[in-house]
Amino acid sequence: MEQTAHPSSLAYTDHFGLTDDDFQKILDIALSRGGDFAEIYLEYKINGFINMEEDIVKETVESISLGLGIRVISGEKTGYGYTNDISLPKVKAAAVTAASIASGREPLLASRLSPVKSPIPNTYPILNPAHEQPLEDKISLVKRAYRTAQKFDPKIQKVKASLLDSVQYIRVINSEGLCATDVRPLIKLTCFAVAEKDNKREAGYHGGGGRVGLEYFSKELSPEDIGTEAARESLHLLEAVLPPAGEMPVVLAPGHSGVLIHEAVGHLLEADFNRKKTSIFWDKMGQQVAKSTLNIYDDPTIPYFRGSYNIDDEGTIPQKTPLLIEGRLVGLLQDKLSARLMEASETGHGRRQDFSCIPIPRMSNTYIDKGEYDPEEIIKSVAKGFYAHKYQGGQVEDSGKFTFSVSSGFLIEDGKLTSPVKQATLIGTNIDILNKVEKIGHDIQFGLQTGTCGKEGQAAPVTDGCPTLKITRMTVGGH
Amino acid sequence: MPGVATPQKLLDLAEDLVSYGRRKGADEVEVTILDSTEFNVDIRLGEIESLIEAGSRGLSIKVIKDQKTAYGSSSDLSKDSLQKLVSRAVKRAQLSSPDLYAGLPPKQRIDHDITALNLYDPHILELTPEDKINLAQQTERIALQDKRIINSHGSSFETRVIKTILVNSHGFSHAYDETYCGLSLGLQAGRTDEIVEDYWSCSKRHFNELEAPEAIAAKCIARTVRQLNPRKIPTQRVPVVFESAMTSWLLGFLFACVSGVAVYQKTSFLQNKLGTKIADDRITIYDDGLIPGLLGTTPFDTEGIPAQKTIVVEQGILKNYLCNTYAARKLKLASTGNADGTGVAPHNFYLTAGIHAADQIISSMDKGLILIRTLGHGLNPVTGDISRGAYGLWVEKGEIAYPVSEITISGNLGEILLTIEMIGNDLEFRTPVSGPTIKIQELMVAGT
Repeated sequence: MEQTAHPSSLAYTDHFGLTDDDFQKILDIALSRGGDFAEIYLEYKINGFINMEEDIVKETVESISLGLGIRVISGEKTGYGYTNDISLPKVKAAAVTAASIASGREPLLASRLSPVKSPIPNTYPILNPAHEQPLEDKISLVKRAYRTAQKFDPKIQKVKASLLDSVQYIRVINSEGLCATDVRPLIKLTCFAVAEKDNKREAGYHGGGGRVGLEYFSKELSPEDIGTEAARESLHLLEAVLPPAGEMPVVLAPGHSGVLIHEAVGHLLEADFNRKKTSIFWDKMGQQVAKSTLNIYDDPTIPYFRGSYNIDDEGTIPQKTPLLIEGRLVGLLQDKLSARLMEASETGHGRRQDFSCIPIPRMSNTYIDKGEYDPEEIIKSVAKGFYAHKYQGGQVEDSGKFTFSVSSGFLIEDGKLTSPVKQATLIGTNIDILNKVEKIGHDIQFGLQTGTCGKEGQAAPVTDGCPTLKITRMTVGGH
Repeated sequence: MPGVATPQKLLDLAEDLVSYGRRKGADEVEVTILDSTEFNVDIRLGEIESLIEAGSRGLSIKVIKDQKTAYGSSSDLSKDSLQKLVSRAVKRAQLSSPDLYAGLPPKQRIDHDITALNLYDPHILELTPEDKINLAQQTERIALQDKRIINSHGSSFETRVIKTILVNSHGFSHAYDETYCGLSLGLQAGRTDEIVEDYWSCSKRHFNELEAPEAIAAKCIARTVRQLNPRKIPTQRVPVVFESAMTSWLLGFLFACVSGVAVYQKTSFLQNKLGTKIADDRITIYDDGLIPGLLGTTPFDTEGIPAQKTIVVEQGILKNYLCNTYAARKLKLASTGNADGTGVAPHNFYLTAGIHAADQIISSMDKGLILIRTLGHGLNPVTGDISRGAYGLWVEKGEIAYPVSEITISGNLGEILLTIEMIGNDLEFRTPVSGPTIKIQELMVAGT
């Protein structure tokens, strides 16, 4: 099949058939009870999935979702209606539902729509959007990852490889006259391998992707790399011991350990938790909350990253947002509602899982900036401790208590990585840990381009990154 | 889409699509339609924070041709786009590999009376938005009267009405309606830098079974303030009591390990353990899809296999894995009616009650931990290993001494099941997976 290679193949196309006049009418209905702000969010998404296990391509899936959400804000209240029935009467009914939240005031009139004119920089100009490529080509990527893992070692007993790709067409129209679109491609190729020896079994995982085209798997990370790494990790874990339990110095590997910053800092700097004063940080803006060597950013504009977007789900053009500078708390991740109520600038972090969800402040690509230490020196500085390498995930509560689950790591003995370690849980309180970041490496990396963050039941693709970090003491849950 | 409105029309649409798929060359076709309406109101500090009301529909298909499978789904229910979806699935199926185990289950009969399962409460449809807003407002208001509560995550009331239609090319064609309602609350207590927090909720199919706002508020307050002024404890091995909500959490992990899908995929430590002793003699666990009115009750699973009562563990012996048709064929077993898409889901999966009062279990510990909440991931079905962040209450001489935080618990599900020493008499079906209070002989608790 002829493959056309021009980025314009990802131009916005309409799937709704509603006119500007319709939108104007819908916005007027939405504001008819006196809301301050109304918005229409249109989403059309195609998902593809290929799954290979037990040596066969078990299934392929295509799913199409189309729908529209209407939001009205009145003070701190949000009214929301959504529908996947795009007939004008149903859409108007959703607008009436959303409008009902407001009451009393004279209705506002929506501004006339004015499409965003200034070109929005495209952070993901791709060549071969996955949804336009032949299924055979995509199956071949999955098979390559699968076979590589399977052949890596006779101890590999089971492999599973899958490719998930999607393209999301969104359009945001609001009563301030905004009319903006984005077309967001997203792929992830993952491989999961189970190794077995002496009745012991362990699983390894690897993957990659982002807002990229299929060219990524020939240029950046090959299916063979993904399969090899998954197999290698499962074999590594077969030799692993359970970690010791208790407080000890902990060194966090670069890249994957970004999940620490996601949990320990990122969530609690989402503006909604601070506006509601439930985050431990709400009264600490401008204060020193961490060691002065620590700089933390969230940047939705990193090219091709899984967490990136050209506009957020409220149509705001996003910005790289400093959160901590030299250990001082300087910024929050804002959406429109929180920015307005807190009288702060929007940062473009209003995201939603899909058209059925109200946008909320979310992270995108969150990272600790690099420091000055040589990573080797950092490990050498620990006489006895724990090196956390790969993770299953983490969780935080507003009180600042967080955990993260380490799937694979090493013991550190006399400044050297020694026995491989599996299945440990790290636990701490965020401000305490931020002040125990003793050394920061110069080796910043990002974790896998496969991560998804959950908040209030909404999933969002994210990445996080960090350099090698040494935490003076931290509780390691072990055996 | 315009034109499709009545339930009968949705059933007709599903049947037409099954015939269309057969005409396009599929050997077998299955069509599912979910048609739901949702209402959710969030109240925070007395005011409405958000109110969502919506209806949505989705259709999904499975086609099999020459033992090769493809799936599709769409929320665009126009006939034209659905027919294209089916045609593309039939073509796509040819690119999958032939799989001896693929295919729909043989023709099924639904013998039980669907209405007797009591899944639908018409009263929920009669609640006005004001009724629903009031319930949430009242719940939070009662809680905020307590001086120890410093902030609120808010309270929510939600309702959901769902129609499920399942039609396949073996002549299965059934529909059923179900309702849910839920009331929840989240609270914070303590000083700014020493905040503790917790949630409580109740979810039922029938409105008159829902706990009252007073009950939800009281339970949420008690759960929150009991964590005030936590201490750290040294790392040690001690007996651990799981509150019933924690037992439910542990059973959720067990479910993942008795899943026939995990077993045939070799990702469960309970592989090859059928008929062997995996738990203490006092342990009996069922999965029952037929208890009228419960959250996990359903007339048939997503493949149309009638729900049933399955004994999973009988007096410590593993009796059955929970299977969908595919996993059952792989394992040469029968489906237990637990299909949920390509995976499995529990119906009402529960550990039968024991004889001890929860107080009695706590007072049996000279020194130990009551596990009240866990945090994070750290469950590995391949090995059964558990490692989680945890919150608890420290027990000394049979009495609760103080709350503890910043600890982790670790152990192995296989060992835990064999060392359950006491089982409470407090089983309640609050969630599809549920169990009473239990006491584990010993777990590693990591602290300072």
